[in-house]
Formats: sequence, structure tokens, C-alpha cells
Amino acid sequence: MDLSIRGIVKRFGPLTALDSVSLDVPHGTFVCFLGPSGCGKTTLLRVIAGLELADAGEIRLGERDLSRTPARDRNFGVVFQSYSLFPNMSAAKNIAYGLECRGWSKPAIAERVEAMLKLIQLADHAHKLPAQLSGGQQQRVALARAIAPDPSLLLLDEPLSALDAKVREELRTEIRALQRRLGITTIMVTHDQEEAMSMADLVIVMNGGRIEQAGRPVDLYAAPQTTFVANFMGRMNLISVNIAADGRPVFAGMPLTLAGTAQATTRTLGIRPEAVWLLPAGAEGDNIFPATVREVVFLGNITRVAASPDAAPDTRLAIELHGAATAPAIGDAVAVALPAAALRVLT
Amino acid sequence: MTAAAHPGEAPAPTGFFSSDRFAGYLLTAAVLLPMLAFLVLPLSAILLYSLRGPGGIGLENFTHTFGAPRFWTLVVNSVVMSVVSTVGTVVLAYGYAYGLARAKVPFTGLWRIVALLPLFAPSLVQAQGLILLVGRNGVFNRFLGFDIDIYGFWGVVISNLLAAFPYAFLILSAALAVADGRLYESAEALGARPLRIFRTVTLPATRYGIAAACFVSFTLVITDFGNPMVIGGDFNVLATEVYNQVIGQAQFGLGAVIGVVLLLPAALGKIIEKRIARKQHALITAQSKPLVIRPALGRDVAWSAFVVAVGVLIISVLAIVIVASFVRLWPYNMTLTLRHYEFDVQNGTAPIWNSIFVSFASAIAGVALAGLCAIVVQKVRTPLSGPLSLMAILPSAVPGMVLGLGYVLAFNAAANPLNVLYGSFALIIILNVYYNHSQAFLITSTSLNQIGGSFDEASTMLGASMTRTLGKITLPLIWPTLLGVGVFYFMRSMVSLSAVIFLINPSTQVAAVSVLQLSDRGAVNQAAAFSVCIMAVVVGCLALVRLVLVATGHRNITLIR
Ligand SMILES: Nc1ncnc2c1ncn2[C@@H]1O[C@H](COP(=O)(O)OP(=O)(O)OP(=O)(O)O)[C@@H](O)[C@H]1O
Ligand SMILES: [Mg+2]
Repeated sequence: MDLSIRGIVKRFGPLTALDSVSLDVPHGTFVCFLGPSGCGKTTLLRVIAGLELADAGEIRLGERDLSRTPARDRNFGVVFQSYSLFPNMSAAKNIAYGLECRGWSKPAIAERVEAMLKLIQLADHAHKLPAQLSGGQQQRVALARAIAPDPSLLLLDEPLSALDAKVREELRTEIRALQRRLGITTIMVTHDQEEAMSMADLVIVMNGGRIEQAGRPVDLYAAPQTTFVANFMGRMNLISVNIAADGRPVFAGMPLTLAGTAQATTRTLGIRPEAVWLLPAGAEGDNIFPATVREVVFLGNITRVAASPDAAPDTRLAIELHGAATAPAIGDAVAVALPAAALRVLT
Repeated sequence: MTAAAHPGEAPAPTGFFSSDRFAGYLLTAAVLLPMLAFLVLPLSAILLYSLRGPGGIGLENFTHTFGAPRFWTLVVNSVVMSVVSTVGTVVLAYGYAYGLARAKVPFTGLWRIVALLPLFAPSLVQAQGLILLVGRNGVFNRFLGFDIDIYGFWGVVISNLLAAFPYAFLILSAALAVADGRLYESAEALGARPLRIFRTVTLPATRYGIAAACFVSFTLVITDFGNPMVIGGDFNVLATEVYNQVIGQAQFGLGAVIGVVLLLPAALGKIIEKRIARKQHALITAQSKPLVIRPALGRDVAWSAFVVAVGVLIISVLAIVIVASFVRLWPYNMTLTLRHYEFDVQNGTAPIWNSIFVSFASAIAGVALAGLCAIVVQKVRTPLSGPLSLMAILPSAVPGMVLGLGYVLAFNAAANPLNVLYGSFALIIILNVYYNHSQAFLITSTSLNQIGGSFDEASTMLGASMTRTLGKITLPLIWPTLLGVGVFYFMRSMVSLSAVIFLINPSTQVAAVSVLQLSDRGAVNQAAAFSVCIMAVVVGCLALVRLVLVATGHRNITLIR
């Protein structure tokens, strides 16, 4: 059942935390809300969960309008950043809690709890209190507790951010595998772009209470539409251009060619560092500029080079070279190519 | 939906007026209605009666009272006595707390308990002990050849000073405990002498604590009524005047006027104290580091001497009461005896059992009502949450005597359907519940805040109703706090005198009132025996509950407040 969100507005006093947010989550997908701190990710998640009441807008799950359904009747599973395991109950009791609330029979509960504990590989820890479990184990129990009642939607608010790097990596794969196996529609909040890229089918980049761009990770990386998304998903060279009378963008005194039907509607173009070509001095052609190497940083598998076009010495272009052999030296005269296919128009 | 065929399918959406909403309003009503009946109504009755004279509603009572020279004498007496007492208690308590916090005094834990001892007895025990020490027939005048006249101004000042000491001490030692070690290190590194460090670092950091201690002590002292009754002699204050007007002459209107007058400094003090408390919190930051006390012989000896001196004073006033309860006839026949514990006076041991019963019932009712109130204010969002939390802390600005008078005025009236409660234990218990309501409410709220709302939300998302969350999650998590609140109620109800004095009749006599009446009649030894029983019960209760808490692994619950 698809989740559909239309025009959600949420205000906290004078602050607009969510400013007319709309999105669609197809059934069974894994979606990440990605954005800087304070952009409204948690708020959006809480509105979906029903823990926060939106000032305007509509949330639908399939045909059902959820706006008037209280949180406890939505049957959504939530995993909070702070685990929020009930400290007075064992792992097994925690997992059983939601089933008891929903009126499962005793044998059904016992069976389900056992299956869940096996699923998260904590069958031996069933009777431990949360305080006796490690952070990673606690988070797994929280996950099991959330999915035990067969929720129609799983909501995760930065579930991994309190864990150390190694456990985090493990759990990433585990959560993703579990989600695939159960086919459960899942929304996860994160501010870690690597996490979002590696886990999600669909990434929603948020900024200042709005959705900047939504798409598959590879599309967001390859074709960011705004400078914000470009910079949030990896590094991007920003190039300021003038627009000539014929509508073509002009950079360093030369008109630039864009791919296909792309139009420079703004004065900023972007290109990823690994898409820039470094050529020998004197090379000529479309989008090729004579330039000078300013900086070279050797990092093993890649080398970072900064070069400035001679006609625009204030612009530093970051270039990533793979393999060490061709690295130039500082001060070398070179040429840089900005392939038309890799140039993006940013708003 | 995959879950459709599953036994775990969610119930059909129940709409906006779900049962949680209904339960919320039900709980709100359960808290709000008794509060209106037993807090707002009595306070309104005081105001109403103060305005109602023989000639109808008006300021007649006020002009009549304010026009009498005697009233202004009482005001001057009350204010001067309270100021002197407050200054004394804050200075002594500051020194005592400072010595314990900033010098190496041996047996720190013991001296902390000593400072709190006065809380375990009705305040008038201080006057009682003082009389046994330096009264007409006291140790000093009788046996050591002194000629001290303690009755009157100084007697009241000193006994109130001792009674207020633990309150000031608790506030000041909390203020001194939040010292930021970094400040002291940098002051020392800059070469500042100890006195200079005190003036430039310690004093500014604790000035909010000092101000709060002043207001709390002043309010306690100006509204205390037992001490001036017992040791005041001809020295009268506003609090005793209320008693005389109401009990002696049935002048309810005039009593109510003075009640309103007493309400003013208490309410004002409370408001200022709350403002101050808010600022105190900002002083300590996450980077603060605790202050480490290094030994320094001269300083340590000096502070130890001071702490011991004050501690011995506190102990001796209480100890002499215990001694007096065991001698045949103070001071004439000092042979040891247990006959005062036979209680062949008045109602025998009934007042003690009454006290225990009333205190126990107050503890249970108090935990239920004040705890529920805190839960409702924090967890149930209704338009009434705001007014409710305001009402919940209202009693902290109301002197016990004033609230007690309000109860008489409100429930003695035949027109009030709750009039049936008048003269029963139930009303005394309810009075105790609401008299101590604000602290109990705040303790529970703080504990709920520390737990935070995320367990509630987790429970809600798992499909639990509000009442299930309350029963399965919230209560199991805060029970140690609620136990602490119960102890607080029990202690306060055991020792409270001024609040219940107007509601007592021979069949509902409580021990604290017996102490007053027996002292009044000159039955020194029996009065002492009653006081000792009260202290023993309070100490026994504290010990028992501490044992339970330690046994269940809850060591960090404060019991004495
Ligand atoms: N209960 C609240 N009352 C007032 N303001 C709030 C409340 N909850 C959130 N906000 C504000 O709304 C904005 C969005 O908050 P939100 O918690 O959704 O951010 P976030 O994207 O989850 O950030 P983070 O990554 O730091 O968790 C913030 O400016 C926050 O201060
Ligand atoms: Mg967040």
C-alpha cells in the first residue's frame, strides 16, 4: 500500500518546521529522509507517525486517510534514536508489548517473540534487561519490537547514529536485508549521506522544512538540481557563468556547450571533480580551457588536483584523478575539459 | 495490507474522540474537581469572609483591623521577629553548609543528618526544648545558677531560627554543591587569598541560594504559630492572633483579614523565590568540574568547631526533650521513669495513633492526587493543563494556618454540601494533601521529566492506550519517586500543627496538637513524651523506607525534603 503525503505544514510558534511537504512512498520501498540538522526530518517522521499533528495537509495509506487516526491505531512501527526500550522489561517482554496491546493470544505472542529474537540473533538474551545489552543489541531489540506486530509502515529516526562506526556498518546491512525480506515499507531519517546512499531505494533531500529533491541515490548524485543537493551529496565544482545574447553560458571568456537540450537558466553550473578531464597544455576543443595547476594532493588510489583556468584565475576547479601515474606538479601549465554531458545546471 | 489476516490487525480507527481523549478528560476531572473543592474554595472563603462584615460586603473588616493600634504592634512584632530569625538562621545555615562543603569536617554525613533533625518534629518542639534548657525551670537557671529570661521575643526568635534551620540548610548546601571547580582553580592560580576567593567566587555563585533561603525561612517563621504560643509569653504575633480571634472569640471575619495579611508575604516570597530558582540552574554547565577539597589544618579545625557548635545546639534542644520525657517531674524529681509513656492524659495514646493513621492516609491520598496531577499535567494535553499546573503549585504560597482557616470557613458552612466532612479525619487528611501539594507535585514532575516522553511515544506507537502506558510503563518507572513523595507526606503530616489546628476536635486529636495543649497546661513531661513519639515514628518510617529502597537498588532517592 503506497503512502502519499500532500501539502504537510507544521509550525512551532513562529517557526515553520515543515513547509508544504508532498511525497509518495511506493509500497515496499526503503526511503531515506536526508538533510542537515534542524531541517525537519524528525518532524516529518513524527507527523507521519501521528505523534505530531500537522497544521495542514493530508496523509494517505492506500485509500485510507490517516489524518484523524490516532497514533496508536495507525499500526506503524517506530524505532527511536534513543532506543526507548522500556527499562523495566526484558528484551522478550519489550518485543511482546506491542502484541499484547493488539490483543494477540498468549501462544501467538510467545511464538512471535521467539521468531523475532531469532531474526535479530539475540535468542540467548531474551531475558536480559535493556541495561544489560550493548547499544547495538538494544537497537536490534528496538527494531524487533517495532516490526513484531507486523506494522504497515516502519519508521526509523536516526537508528544508527548513537552506535560506533563498526556496529553501525553491520546494522546497516542487517536492517536493509531484513527490510527486503519482509517487504515492509520503511522510512529512515538520517543526516549521513553515505548511509542514505548505501541503503535507500529513494532519497528525499530536505532543507529548511522543504524537499529539495527526491530520487534514486544514483540520480541525485549524477543529476543534482540545486547547489544544496550537489554539495550535500559529495563534492561538486560550482562554476559561475554569464549568459550570452544567444542564451549560451559563457565561462572564462568562452561559450560553454551543454548536453542535449539543457538550457542555462541560472548563472551556476556544476561538475563533479571526477568528471573533469586534465589534458596536456595546448589541447583544444569544446569546453577546454588552458589552466595552471595550483595544488596536488596524493591520496593513494586517487590524486586531488586543483587548477585555475588562466582566463578565470579566481576559480579553482577540483579534479580527481584515479591512479598515480599522470599526476602533474604545482605550477604546470595544463588544459582542463568540462565535458558537456557532465555539466549540470543548478538552481 | 499484509497484516490484514493477522491477529495483530489494528482496530478500526476510532476517530478523533478516541478513548484516549475520553480517558484524558476523565483523569483531568479527577484531579481538577477535588482541587477546586479543597483548594480554590477554601481560599475563596478566606477572601469572602475577610470582606464580609456585619454591614455586608465591604472593606469594613480591613478598616476595623487596620485602625486598631494593636494590629500594628502585631505587624511590627511579626516582621521584626521574622527578620531577626531569618538573618540568624541563614547566617548559621550558610556557615554550617559551607563548612561541610568546603572544609574537611570529620563525620560529614552525620552532621548533615543533625542539620535535618528539626524536620522530624513539630516546630514547637524547639520552643519546648528551649524552655527545658533556659526557661524558668530550665537546666541553666535551675542547676547552673543562671538567670535567663527566655520567654518573649528572643525565645520566639531562637526557636523559629532552629525550626527553619534545616530548610535553609537544604537550599544552601544545594547551592554550594554546584560549585564549578574551574573557577576556584583559576582564582587560586591568580594568587587570590581564601577570603578574597570567598568574596569574588563563592558568594556571587551562591547569592541566589541565599536569597531563596531567606524567603523560605521568612515565610516559615512569620506564619509559624506553635513557637510563639509556647514560648512567646506576652509577645504576640500575627499568627497567634489569628488563632485567638478564631478559636478564642469566634471572630472569623477578623481572623480572615489577618489570614489575608499573612498570605501576602508568603505569596510574594514564593514568587520571588521561583524567579531566583530559575536563575540558579543556569550556573552549572556541562564543562563544569567538581571542586576538590584539599586538607588545610587551620581552616578545617575552625570549621569543624563551628559545625560541631551549631550541631550540638540543635541536638541539645531535641535531646533535652527526650530526657524530660523520661524523668518523673521536671525539674523537681529527676528520677528516671517510663510513666509518661503510659499516656494517662486526655485521650491516652489515641492522638499518636490518630497521627499515624492520618499521616499514612495523607501519604497514600497525597501520592495518588499530587502524583496523578503531575502525570495529567505532563502527559495529558488539554486546554486545562496550564491552569491545572498553576493551581498545583498554589499551596506553596499559602501558609498552613491560612489554608486551615479556609477549611473551617468553607466546610463549617451549612450551605456547603461537603459540610458532612467537617469534624472528620477525612477533612484533616485532605487538608494535609493540599497543604503539601506543590512540593509533591514538583518532585513527581521532575522525575517524569527525567524519564522523558519517549517511552510514552514508543508505547503509543505499539498500540497501547493511555491508561495502559500509565500502568505498565510510567508507574513502574517512577514508583521509587512516588514512595519518596509518600514519605514526604507522612513526615509533614506527622509534624504539622498550624494547618490542622482549626480542624481538630477531641475525637480527631493528633499528636502535634497534644504537644501544644499539654505544654500550654504545663504538663511538660507528657508533652515531651508526645514529641518523642512523633520523632520516633518519623525516624522509624524513614529508616524503613530507606531499607526498602536500598534493597531494591534505588539509592539516589531523596527522602528528606
Ligand atoms: N516540539 C518542538 N517545539 C518547537 N520547535 C520544534 C519542536 N520540534 C522541533 N522543532 C524545531 O523544528 C525544526 C525541525 O526540527 P527536527 O527535529 O525535525 O529537525 P531534524 O531535521 O530532525 O534535525 P536533527 O538532524 O538535528 O535531528 C528545528 O528548528 C527544531 O528546533
Ligand atoms: Mg531529528
